[in-house]
Order: sequence, then C-alpha cells, then structure tokens
Amino acid sequence: MQKNEHWRAADNRIGLLFIAPFVVAALVFMVYPVLESIRMAFYYIDPLNPDAQRFAGLDNFGTVLRDPLFWSSFRNAAYWTFVSTILQTVAGVGIALLLHLPLRGISVFRGLLLFPYIVPTVVIALCWQWMLNPEIGIVNHTLRGAGIIDENIYWLSSPDMAMLSTIMLNVWKYTPFVTICVLARLQTVPTELYDAAKVDGAGVLRRFTDITLPQLAEVLAVVVVFRTIWTFNKFEEIYLLTRGGPGTSTYNLAIYSFEQSIANLRMGVGAATGVIMMLMLFLGSILYMRLFRFQDET
Amino acid sequence: MTPMSRVRARRWLGQACAYATLVAITLAICFPLMWALSTSLKPKSELSTPPTLVPHAPTLENYRHLLTGKSQYFAGGSGEYQPTTAPPQYFLSWFGNSIIVSLGSTVISIVISTLAAYSITRFRYKGRMAVPYFSLLGYMVPSIILVFPLFMVMTRLELTDSLWSLTLGYVSTTLPFCMWLLWAFFRGIPVELEEAAMIDGASRLRVFGEIVLPSALPGIIAAAIFSMIVSWNDYLFARVFMNSVDHYPLTVGVMLFFEGVHVDWGLMMASAVLMTVPMAVLFMALQRHLVAGFGAGAVKG
Amino acid sequence: MTIRVDNISKRFGKTEVLRAVSLEFTEREFITLVGPSGCGKTTLLRILSGLETPSSGEIWHGDKPIGHLAPGARDIAMVFQSYALYPHMDVFHNIAYGLRVRHTPADEIRRRVGEAAKVLEISHLLERKPRELSGGQRQRVALGRAMVRRPWLFLLDEPLSNLDAKLRVTMRSELKRVHRALETTTVYVTHDQLEAMTMSDRIAVMDGGFVQQFATPEQIYGHPANLFVAGFIGSPPMNFITDVALSDGRLVAGGAQPVTLPVLRIDRFAAALPRRAMTAGIRPQDIALSLSPVADAMAAEVQMVQLLGPEKLVEVTAAGRMLSVIVDAVVPVKAGERAWLLFDPLRVHLFDADTQRNVLPAPGLVS
Repeated sequence: MQKNEHWRAADNRIGLLFIAPFVVAALVFMVYPVLESIRMAFYYIDPLNPDAQRFAGLDNFGTVLRDPLFWSSFRNAAYWTFVSTILQTVAGVGIALLLHLPLRGISVFRGLLLFPYIVPTVVIALCWQWMLNPEIGIVNHTLRGAGIIDENIYWLSSPDMAMLSTIMLNVWKYTPFVTICVLARLQTVPTELYDAAKVDGAGVLRRFTDITLPQLAEVLAVVVVFRTIWTFNKFEEIYLLTRGGPGTSTYNLAIYSFEQSIANLRMGVGAATGVIMMLMLFLGSILYMRLFRFQDET
Repeated sequence: MTPMSRVRARRWLGQACAYATLVAITLAICFPLMWALSTSLKPKSELSTPPTLVPHAPTLENYRHLLTGKSQYFAGGSGEYQPTTAPPQYFLSWFGNSIIVSLGSTVISIVISTLAAYSITRFRYKGRMAVPYFSLLGYMVPSIILVFPLFMVMTRLELTDSLWSLTLGYVSTTLPFCMWLLWAFFRGIPVELEEAAMIDGASRLRVFGEIVLPSALPGIIAAAIFSMIVSWNDYLFARVFMNSVDHYPLTVGVMLFFEGVHVDWGLMMASAVLMTVPMAVLFMALQRHLVAGFGAGAVKG
Repeated sequence: MTIRVDNISKRFGKTEVLRAVSLEFTEREFITLVGPSGCGKTTLLRILSGLETPSSGEIWHGDKPIGHLAPGARDIAMVFQSYALYPHMDVFHNIAYGLRVRHTPADEIRRRVGEAAKVLEISHLLERKPRELSGGQRQRVALGRAMVRRPWLFLLDEPLSNLDAKLRVTMRSELKRVHRALETTTVYVTHDQLEAMTMSDRIAVMDGGFVQQFATPEQIYGHPANLFVAGFIGSPPMNFITDVALSDGRLVAGGAQPVTLPVLRIDRFAAALPRRAMTAGIRPQDIALSLSPVADAMAAEVQMVQLLGPEKLVEVTAAGRMLSVIVDAVVPVKAGERAWLLFDPLRVHLFDADTQRNVLPAPGLVS
C-alpha cells in the first residue's frame, strides 16, 4: 500500500498561503518605506527631479542638527507632547471613573464621550478656526460678554495662544482614547476587591489609591507610552490649525520634516529628520521600558 | 433626620453632582460640532452679528451650494471671484473619492490581516510570532516617514494623482493596527470550534469560511471601522500624493476653502458637518464593536 | 475490527507527553483513559482524532494505518469538554453540519437529526441557538452532533466536567445508555475515577506519558498493577505501609519499632514474594475496626472521625503510621479512643519497593 502524504503537510501549505499577502504588503508598504527613508537621509534629493540624486554622506544630518529651527521644533514637540499627554491622561482617567459609576443611563454618556475620536481632524481644525476667530468667533464673543477680556485674543496668531489652542484640540480629540482604555480595564476589576476593602473600613479615597490605581497601573503605562509616541508623531493636528505658525512657533518635528521636503525641496533633509525622530522614539521607548520594569521590581 | 435618610440624601447629592459633571463634559465635547451645525444653517448675514446657537432664519443655502455647485458666494462678498479658489461644485466628487479610497484601503487591509491573523494563530511555523510584534512597531512609525518614500514609489509606478495611490498608501497605516487587533481577536476564538468542524469533515477553507469568519465578525467589524476612520481622516498622504483638484479626497479639498481671500464660514461649516456624517453614522450603527476594538487594545490615534 | 495504538510517542518541544504508548481494543468497547492532569490522556485522544500528530508511532484501524488521515477523513466523532457548539448556528444545523459537509441529501439529514434529537430528548430545542441552552442541553447537542454521523469511533474529552454534580450523575447513565443503544466504539477521557469505574468496559490508567494499567474496572480496583494505580483508583485512597518484609510467614513493617501487620494466612503467598523490601497496601474499606481488643489485631488510637453518610471515615494512628478506615455509620467510634485493626487477607496488596509493581499473582490464580 502506498504511504499517503500526511494531511498536515497540505494543511501547512494553506497556512503559509494565508500569511503570504501580509508578508508582501508589509515588505512593500512598511519595511520598504522605512528603509528607503533611511537611504534618502544620506542623499540630496529634489522632489521635482527625483532621479537626480547625489550621495550626501552625513550632510543632511549636519544640516538638521545645525538648524536652530530643528531645535526649536524639537522643544515645541516635546512641550506639546508632554502637556497633551498629561492632560489627556488625567482627564481620561477622571472621565473613565465617572463613567464607571453605577448610574442610570450611563451607557448613553459612554457612547457620546467616544465621539471626538471619530471626528476628522480637518473638521475639528475648521471648527476651532471658526470658534477661535478673533473678531466673530464665539469664544472671544463669550469672553467679552462675560467681561473677562476687553480686547480680542488672537488665539491662533500669537505664539503662546497658538500652542495652547493646538494642545486643546489634541486633548479634546484624544482624551476618549484614554477613557475607553481605562474604562475597559476598570470593568474587569473584580467588585469583591472593593467589597473586601469596604469591610476592612477603607474610605472612598483609600479604595481609589489602594485598589483602583494599582489595578490601572499596567494599562496606564501602555496608554501613556502610546499616546506619547503618537502625539510626538502628529502632523495634521498642528498643521491644519496653525500651519506651524504664527511664524514657526508651533513647528514640531513632523512639520519641520514636511516643510523641508515640500517647501524647501530638500527631501534628504526631511528624511534625515524622520530618521532622527525614529531614533528618538526608539531610545525613548527603551528608556521607558527600563524605567517601568525597574518600578515593577520594587 | 435619621442617619439612614442622611445617607440617602448624601447619595442623592453625589449622584446629582456626577450627572451634572457628565452633562458638562458632554456639552464640552459636543459643542464644537453643534456650533458648526448651527453656523452651517445660518444665512451669511447672521455670521458677523452677535452669534446665537439657534439661527434666527435657518436656511439650507450653504448645503445647496456645496451640493449643486453654484459658486456665487465666491463671486460676491469682498470682491472678485478668485480663480485659484476651489469652486464648491467639486464637493461631491471629493466626497466620492473619500468613500472609494477609505473603502478600498479598508477592504485590502482587512482581507490581508484576516488571512494573516488566522494563519499565525492556527498554524505552527517559525517566525509567525514576529508578525504581531512587527505590526506593533509599525504602529509607532510616524506617517511623515512613510509618505515620501511611498510617494516616490507611486511616481515610479505612475500612480500619483490617482485614487489607487491613496488606497495603497493608506494600507501602510491601516494594515499594522488591523493586524494587531485581529491577532488579538483571533487568539480569543476557541480553537475547539474549528477542531469540531474539522472532525465533522469540513476542509480547512470551509472551516475558515463557515466557522471562523462568523466568529471573527465582531473583530473584523471593529478593525474595519478603525481603518475607515483613519483613511477618512487622513490629510498628509492626500496632500502629498494628489495634484488635481477633482482627485482630492474631502480632507484636502475642504481645506482649499481656506485659500480664498474671503473665508466663507457658512459653507465651510456645512462641509465640516457633511464630512462628519458618514463617520457618525458608522459610529452610531456599530458603536458596540468600536468599544470591543478598544478592548482588544488596538486603536490608532 | 480492532483499533490499535501502536507505539505512539509525542513530544511538545522538550516535554515528552506520551512515551511509546500501545493499546489495542475491539469494536463496541467503551474504553476510558483516566489519570491526573498532564498524564497525556487528552493528547492520546487528540492523536486518535487526528487533531494532533504523534512524533512517532501509528494508529491502525483493522489493517489500515490511519495516522496520515485528516480528522475529517477518519469518519470519527468527538465531543469536546467545552462542547464547541457553533455559536451562530441553531441546534438543528449544529447537529447537521457533519452531514451537510458530506453532502447527505436534505431529507436524509432531516430524518437522522430528528432521530438523534429524539434519542437525546432535545427535539423541542432544534431551533434554538447554543447560547439559549442550559449546560445539560448543550451537552446533549454535542452528543447528537457526534451520533448523527454514525461514526465508527466516538471520542469524548471530559464531556461531563462542566456540569454540576447532580447533572453529571444523570448524564453518566445517559451516556452509558446511548453507548448500549448504538454500540459504537468509544474512547472516553476523564480525570474522575468514579466515571471511569462506572462506565467503562476497560480502563487505561495513565501517568507520566505511560499507560500504567489497561484492564477491566474490576481488575484495576481489585488488583492494581503498581503503586500508582493503587493510589490513584479508590476513594478514600489506599493506605500504604512502607518497608514491609516477610518474616516467619508474617508481614512485618520495619522502622524504629517493627510491627507485625494484622494479616492472617499470608503464608499462602509466601512463595511468590520477593526477598526485598515491599510496600503493603490496604484500602480503608478492607480494614476491620474493633473497639475491643482482638487477638492478632494491631492496636491503634482514633484521631478523627468524619461522617460520610452511610459510613464513617476514621483516621487512626497505629505503629506511628496514619491509616484511614471506613466503618459503618452506626459504629460508635470517637476521637481519642483505642481501637484494634484487622486487615482482610485477600485484599492486602504487596508492591515491590523498587519496581513499584504488584508482586502478588492476580486474584483469580490464588485461593
């Protein structure tokens, strides 16, 4: 009798067949662009004439690192990321705790509070522009009416206010992300823990610090890392509201890279900025993971 | 007051405070869009007068102009018609472009990542665990890095300025998180179901189609919604890839309204509202799955 | 036709789950694989089903090797611990799925599903979805799905472990009834020795990837092949007395103060016994407890008494050892009292201390 092929052999071929499209797509749409970006960082490239490329060595990196605008963009990005992330986290946790209360109709609020996440950034930017319009915007109008200000605030055309406005936009849009992640975790905390603490005589505050916070530590760590990385990478949230302005006062690294590539026609310099961003994120994540593991052990 | 009723009174007060805070937050969240809606329904004369939430003389003028493309707004107002300004009759084709591109990239990402998620959770071969971690890394790469190399590829393929370039370009951002989300989801589907079907005599492909896909549907829907949201919202890729006005998706197109000398806020708010509607409909219809997606821990923002 | 498990080994990475397991059974038998968790019983079942591939060895159905066949090509049925009902299909389609896959005509499907549903008394549930069923009902649907295809082999993986205690007893006799009606060869995996004892024609007791003993329930209980089987089967577990040797025709347990075991007429076995150290085993049910002194009995002190219903479990210390004894519930025994023990000589088990094997001949051969 002929020994038949084992069915696993044919089965495993199906498995490989199923993963193949992903491998191809990942190579083309993820691996290649990143590698190409790194390569571009070492060349002089004019987007209008992309075939005439000359090797630049480390020149692009030198240009970037000597450029005061790069460093001010970096400071802006760090400040923007830091403040946005903290505000989002605090507001997100607060709202999640509220939404976790056993109140009637709470699910309606749960749905509504997720809403900003789906609103296109362009739409929010337009709404913000309109509401913050110095002459006919609702914000200045309300503040004037309430007697808080006498003169119109130029929200988007004075450097400090522009930064504040972009932060507000970012917090408004992404707080729901933190809320939902925290809420999902809260719902898995066994209620017995709270009952046990109540029996032990712990008050509301004690129960929060001794049960809720430790249970949330892990999800918060993950959320903060991801929010930090994504906020640091953001382009549209700032660009659409202020175009990096007034002047260059709200430039972050993504906008810097974009303007180098598009406005200054120096794609190599833009790519070098991107590579530096990736390095920063990489080092930042490693540092953070070290820090977090250290906390874990103590 | 008895101690018991005092406890009850305090509880009632606490609940009232909680509701009040929730309502306040909800208002803060909804206000920008409510304001946009209100503005879009106002005639031009009401915009500069002291603003009110409810328009005195509500009108659908703005929407009519967006959809039918009468560009008299641009001819009137502060002066002459600006030839560089996008006339609003492009709005419908932008809308169509956005829908085509978002649906296209979502379908591609979902098909690829569903097959891959099934493969890495149900078959044993070397290197399969690299896929989810690789996708997680893909999450963290800034779009600004991907956009220019992909642009060069599209140039070489002569796809720039076509909807194909955007559809494929968005795959680079939607694929990693669809992959991650579906991987997490597929891990949670009990393997016994498939084993039972295999013992029942179903082939691997039949098992996949009749048993796995129905069980994975909530995860697939969640991934699809997020993918739609990301593609619908993108500005950067479209800005870099597209040249001709009638090929723009909504995001880039609507921002053109800004480039006139005189900004028509009513028209702009109307387009903001229309642009939000498809996502809002999706959101309301499939909200349950959206929360499940957040639960699976795979959302890009 | 016989079903032969031939020298099957299975490794997961470096852990050896099955080590050269061989079993042979015939049609219509109800075989139970029993053992502690991690003993390899589920892996063996999954290898029979084809869901797991052995590292080496073959499965034979008659003279046909079936090891290379896909699960669906083996024409067997399996009931999973979690039932694995297709959540998006109603009961009818759950049961019919295997037939539909095999392109059975629609009216034939309807007839056979109807029959199976009638046998299992779930005819009124055919239009429900699995989530609308109770645990016992789901169990029946899972059984129906297995039955309806009339496979030549049933594989049941701890099918009762998710049910509550009362339902488990009902379903136990239900399963037995179905087996008697269909006469399909069945391999049943459980960690519950009571299930194994009550349902099986033969039991394979497994531990550490080996089959420790493969025999009828009577043989397993009455003449365990080794120390592991003796300790695993029986409740409460068998008492073991270590360091026992034959001396002057009596069994003497060594230690600080050697003590003669209260077993009469042991000399009949003497010829069969090794001259090495042994471990004696006696079930709690096979020790007679007296509250007044008896000749040749072992003196003991009662430590604790638990009422189990019709019986009492008495824990005593004798010669520095803890022993448990089962007595009738009416015996007025109290903690702290003195008692005298006698072992039933026909039910004393002796194991080689080194090889752990039973050194006595099987009961049929003596007396």
